[in-house]
Amino acid sequence: MLVSFGNIIDKTTNEKVIALQRAFAESFFRGFAETVPAYSSLAIFYDAVAVKKYNPSVRPAFDVVKEHTEKLIACLGDNVIQNEGTVITVPVYYNGDDMDEVAKQHEITIEKLVDIHTEKTYRVFMIGFQPGFAYMGKLDERIATPRKSSPRTQVPAGSVGIAGFQTGIYPFSSPGGWQLLGQTPLKIFDKEKMNPCFFKAGDNVKFISISKEEFEKQNEY
Amino acid sequence: MSIKIIKQGVMCTLQDAGRQGFRNIGISPGGAMDIFAMHVSNFLVGNNEAAVLEINFPAPEILFLQNVLISLTGADLSATVNNITASLWRPFFVKKDSVLKFKQPVFGSKTYMAVHGGWQSDKWLGSYSTHTKVMAGGHLGRPLQKDDVVGFKAKDFSLAEDKILPWHISKNETDKIYLPSNTIRCIAGVEWELLNELSKENLEKADFSITNQSDRMGYRLSGEPLSLLQPTEIISSAVDAGTVQLLPDGNLIVLMADHQTTGGYPRIASVIKADLPKLSQLSPGQTINFILIGLNEAEAALISMMQTLTEIKTGCHLNFEKYFQA
Repeated sequence: MLVSFGNIIDKTTNEKVIALQRAFAESFFRGFAETVPAYSSLAIFYDAVAVKKYNPSVRPAFDVVKEHTEKLIACLGDNVIQNEGTVITVPVYYNGDDMDEVAKQHEITIEKLVDIHTEKTYRVFMIGFQPGFAYMGKLDERIATPRKSSPRTQVPAGSVGIAGFQTGIYPFSSPGGWQLLGQTPLKIFDKEKMNPCFFKAGDNVKFISISKEEFEKQNEY
Repeated sequence: MSIKIIKQGVMCTLQDAGRQGFRNIGISPGGAMDIFAMHVSNFLVGNNEAAVLEINFPAPEILFLQNVLISLTGADLSATVNNITASLWRPFFVKKDSVLKFKQPVFGSKTYMAVHGGWQSDKWLGSYSTHTKVMAGGHLGRPLQKDDVVGFKAKDFSLAEDKILPWHISKNETDKIYLPSNTIRCIAGVEWELLNELSKENLEKADFSITNQSDRMGYRLSGEPLSLLQPTEIISSAVDAGTVQLLPDGNLIVLMADHQTTGGYPRIASVIKADLPKLSQLSPGQTINFILIGLNEAEAALISMMQTLTEIKTGCHLNFEKYFQA
């Protein structure tokens, strides 16, 4: 089941998504499996067999889950928790293959490009595409850049890229069409960890520029 | 207490019911494509939940280094043990030094092989399923290769090995799941209403064939191109196994077990859970027809399949206990 809060990418909408996700995690509902937050929607996965078992009626399990969800949404009211707390710092060595091209497109220097990218605190709107890939935004419009017209067949793990008004980090080496600005030494997805994912939807993230030496010292890959 | 792969197959992986609860960090449940055959394979040899081998054609050749009780379910790939035909959907003993081969596909595309007590394998985030992208779970997080040795959890199984075990799954039971083989039931998706009228009709009327670009992530279909009322940008949002997405070129893709957790293409329909086993058993080149049904009917079909599985489990386990205690 999908709850849509509108077809829009902004912080207020995403805060509602995360608030409903929390409400689900904290509420007790038999048959509830998991939720997937996205930019402006929350998907609710449930075990229809269990829902029917604990709510015997002629109604479909969908209707039972819908009713529960509507109750949770009503309780959200205006009490959407604004997560202005901690900011996660991500070091980046700005040596990306697309730095020159992106700077040229916006008629700014490479230094200015790094300044603008590191200036803002970004929100993790959602995680998807591949394990641990965090979609963050919004980028300053002075550096917002469309995807590459033809995707690279191989983007190395840890690559920091931008696409439209979004920025993100590739947790695994994979094909990809984002404009590459640099490389983080942090392993943002580590299968050995209890919680393998560095980010979660709703987090605040700030990038800091590091030198090649610092990158090599901190490199976890 | 193990088997050895003496000839490598295509994408032969260890899979169970999948990992739940990690979609929010981009990890889809994965697990066996054909959940029905996976579970039944386990039940037949007295297991509850355990990993099974998901075997595609070309299939591996497997040498048994120990006596063991196994079962094969799902696709009929002409399995033989020491060149003697092996029956599907029933438990049987395999002796040490036997060789299991698969000669050619007759029906379906994926055979599941369970061993009594389950396979020795890596657990990751609560599941033994192989996640090839992260390289975790199953056997070293990857498909089985030549010379791999995979162990059994159970100790030596030295019971009356030559006896024929009497329990099996009737054809009547499996037909309910797999026939008619090319009719796939679905429900309207989140973006169904974005389709134009002709496309809505064509989804049910037209034939769609499964293309070669089909794997555990998804089945790409080709057929009558469908289109939206007007071009619409969709903001990325969650998808699921069974989600039917409309690609920009008008073709469809049905997401399967190893799908991405989110996507940005219109979700025009969803294959019902009860028909995913059937769809999993179809191969590139085969043609399918979609039938749109209501939510109530979709839930009833799932409940019925799960009930069948519960009955099979009870029956198999009763038989197993009776036989091995007597």
